Amino acid sequence: MIPFLANIDPAFKVLAPRAADWLTILPEIAVAALALVSLLQAILLPKPLRWLIPATARAGLVLVIAMAYTTAGPWAPKNDVESFAGLLRQDLPFAGVRLVFLASALLTSLLAARFLRERGAAIADYHHVLLVVTAAFMLLAQSNHFVTFFLALETAAVGLYVLVGYLRRSEASLEAGVKYLVAGGLSSALLLMGIVLVYGALGSVAGITDSLNFTQIGKALSAQVLTPTGISPLTLVGVALILGGVAFKLGAFPFHAWIPDVYQGAPTPTTAFLATASKAAGAFTLLVLVTGPFAALAPKLAPVLAIAAVLTLLAGNLGALSATDVKRTLALSGVSHAGFILAAVTVAVIAPEATAYGYTAEQVVVLYLLAYLAGTFLASQALVSLPAAADHLRPHLALRGLLRRSPSLAAALGFGIGSLAGVPPSVGFIAKLLVLALLVKAKLWWVLGVALVCVAISIHYYFCILREAVVRPTEDNVELAPLEISFGARFLIGALAAATILGGLLILN
Amino acid sequence: MDTFPATLLQITVTAPILIGLVLIAGRSLPRSFASGFALGGFALPAVLAPWLLVLWSSESTTVAQFQSTGLWGFNFGLNGLSAPLLAMTAIVGLAAGIKALTQEVESRNTYLGLILFMLGGTLGVFGTNHIIGFYFFHEFALIPTFILTLFWGGEGRRPAAMQMAIYLTVGAMASLAGILIAIDASGMGFAQANFGDVAHGLQSANHIPAAVGALVLFGLGTLASLFPFHSWAAPGYSAAPTPVSMIHAGALKKFGLYGIILVGLSSLDITGGRLGDWFLWMAVANVVVVGFICIAQRDLKQLVSWSSVAHMGPIFLGIWVCGKSGKADGLDAAAFLMVAHGLSCAALFLLANAVRTRTGTYRLDALGGMASRAPILAALFIAATMASIGLPGFGNFWGEIGVFLSLRDQSLWLQAIIASSVVISAVYALRAVAATFFGPASESLEKRFASAPFGDLGWAERTAVGLLLLASMAIGFKPALVTKSTNEVTKLVTTYSQHNAKAPAKAVPAQPVKR
Repeated sequence: MIPFLANIDPAFKVLAPRAADWLTILPEIAVAALALVSLLQAILLPKPLRWLIPATARAGLVLVIAMAYTTAGPWAPKNDVESFAGLLRQDLPFAGVRLVFLASALLTSLLAARFLRERGAAIADYHHVLLVVTAAFMLLAQSNHFVTFFLALETAAVGLYVLVGYLRRSEASLEAGVKYLVAGGLSSALLLMGIVLVYGALGSVAGITDSLNFTQIGKALSAQVLTPTGISPLTLVGVALILGGVAFKLGAFPFHAWIPDVYQGAPTPTTAFLATASKAAGAFTLLVLVTGPFAALAPKLAPVLAIAAVLTLLAGNLGALSATDVKRTLALSGVSHAGFILAAVTVAVIAPEATAYGYTAEQVVVLYLLAYLAGTFLASQALVSLPAAADHLRPHLALRGLLRRSPSLAAALGFGIGSLAGVPPSVGFIAKLLVLALLVKAKLWWVLGVALVCVAISIHYYFCILREAVVRPTEDNVELAPLEISFGARFLIGALAAATILGGLLILN
Repeated sequence: MDTFPATLLQITVTAPILIGLVLIAGRSLPRSFASGFALGGFALPAVLAPWLLVLWSSESTTVAQFQSTGLWGFNFGLNGLSAPLLAMTAIVGLAAGIKALTQEVESRNTYLGLILFMLGGTLGVFGTNHIIGFYFFHEFALIPTFILTLFWGGEGRRPAAMQMAIYLTVGAMASLAGILIAIDASGMGFAQANFGDVAHGLQSANHIPAAVGALVLFGLGTLASLFPFHSWAAPGYSAAPTPVSMIHAGALKKFGLYGIILVGLSSLDITGGRLGDWFLWMAVANVVVVGFICIAQRDLKQLVSWSSVAHMGPIFLGIWVCGKSGKADGLDAAAFLMVAHGLSCAALFLLANAVRTRTGTYRLDALGGMASRAPILAALFIAATMASIGLPGFGNFWGEIGVFLSLRDQSLWLQAIIASSVVISAVYALRAVAATFFGPASESLEKRFASAPFGDLGWAERTAVGLLLLASMAIGFKPALVTKSTNEVTKLVTTYSQHNAKAPAKAVPAQPVKR
């Protein structure tokens, strides 16, 4: 605290951040600092030393991951304490939450360096924006106030617009960037509208001083529920708009329409980042909102969430059945994974005490996202290493003969798709099992039924991809030239493949 | 507790998987080394699993023996029903392995490795005592099955593998839902869900959703080819490479039956009410309708495949009658038949393929007169056929006759229909034998013999078939090998099933509960 400022305004004395507050977000600060370092390096480093930029970012991210896992540090959340005068609050299983974002950023960096170099795009700027977005996502997941929430969300969104349209010479990338900008702008506007409505509607409730604060919103709503008039329609509209904005990030029905086009057009590393980190941000904020401030609305929210989960599952899986482009298929299958996450969130609302294998619904969401992350990056690695006429055109047919051209890429695709499809003993299977077990505990029979049908459907399109890569002969049985895979890529494939197998073991033990 | 048998059980399940892993990773391992290594992976369980069956003691205070902690929290352990099934799987696995080693295929090491995966998964199904582990190992075995059928299969492998994948995934998902709900209703945590504990917990469960029994029965029934969910089975077995058909039809398919008995029959009242009626009609259709389909077959491998579906009928009936009558004899017979059918069915698949490798065809009208050219093949084929239709001396006899006897209190028409099944199976099986081995040889066969004369069974095939038939005769002459352990479980399952059907409100039985 700066004494000079505290003397000017007594109110500031209460609100001013304490040293302990800064320590709770040390990992986020470190990531933001890394972002600045990469920018500085771009200015200062001579050309032969430019390779240091991604290397520094990666080394830094690894250190931050280690830091996030040091439970002794002051940044490790302890008793769910609010910091920064109630602006932030780490009430999710937070080490896991940080890991999702940090791992996603690290893997994206590993995919991006060679991909960008081949296309003559700047590597430093990409890393800078990537790290800023990552730090923003990490803050977003611990927001406890709609101001920090919206600021973090928009910081991330603006960065993502850049990353999606990053290949300026590619029409597809620019088109995807514009589509994402328009759709994202619309969702941000709706979200802001919702925040304002909630702020206004709850501002007059007795005893509430700040109707943007999640804790206070929660108190106001649970007080209003008990009144004879109930919750005002204005608040409900506001809540609906806010959840709509979050559903956009998650890619849940009916806000999933942007996903196939944007995922397909975006540079593949960005697609992987969007699919994992951005989806995770949507999942975590949804979880925070429906179990925190909006918890009093559970009877109204639960059916909405359950229906959204069912429709998301169906939309994703039925859409993916007819897709013939690998990126598009994976994008739509990502929608179906969002459906699984939504199902787990629904359980968190309906039966907060339900556990599967000792994991709560919140922990299951984190584990599901980590499993999804491993599968997605394996498949993306295979795509990035495959030469293509254009990054956005990757028809299933182009995979033919992959097994002969590069067994390690075929293995990446096999392990990745196998885990996404939920083939035992992969971590994807265990993650799905946990969600299904939660649905059983919460007695959500029809969601369970749809989820199981969708698993069966998904086997078909996932195996169609694998069949092209492994079984089908190439046109006229042409022997295509073997692909050179760098040691780094092979190491990454090996590590992620091991993670898909051993992850399940770690979860269940 | 003596940990030595528990270690043996762990080795039985993990050795094939680890050796399979080495073979898949080492695609360029020298041929002789890979063969020896793979043979070790096939032979080790075949030595250890029967040994475990001998060690299995009916005096033990727990039903599940040789328990130990496994990876993924899926604990190992053998109950009285899984012990003989494990031994049967291991013997079928060795026979299939010998067959696979004699085959000339592309990417041989990968092929052998995947078959070892499949075998290891199937052994795991019976070697684990944990319900989710049981499901897990089944899925683990199914994936290599699809891949092997898709890549190394014969005619029509693509649609067959796809159809099989769709049916089995849907069936597996339905059964997973049923299993998860049953575990939840039993009050057990998912991590501690052992067969015994769940069945015991379900006895005192105050509310079991009515659909669970149907999910378990139809889901697992699909995997065990219960009519009308059976149509994947025959094309799937026919298109698969022979070792895969042997393990799948002989051993892996018993997963469904095993689950139906230990989860469905014991606690979910699948034989009562409307569901029970459906079950009966489907089982009868398995005997009669599929029997007629068998008669219509004109292709030897298709016939063997379909007959393996038809033979599920008596097993289903045995399960049904146990729940209906409350007597254990039907279940005893069904359990016995599960073991015996695995052996005879694998032998038939192997011999049918031996016919094919010599004559180049499975079509019955293109065969004939083989007995004079390949007498040992003919003799063994006839023996396997006799085993399959249940002649005394082979294991199937005790199973089939046991099911008939257990039905003696049921209505006459049912007994009549089941008695007719003996005639049906005799008709198609003996006709196949006659068309293949006796009578004049077809012209095309004469021509083929003139251009590429074929000999009798080689030593490898003789060993494999001999192993299966000897095992079948061993349990035929000394049924106690199987019954000493199965009876312990069938008694308990019968008690549980009756408790559930008759007095759902009553508390846990007063007898000391075995787990």
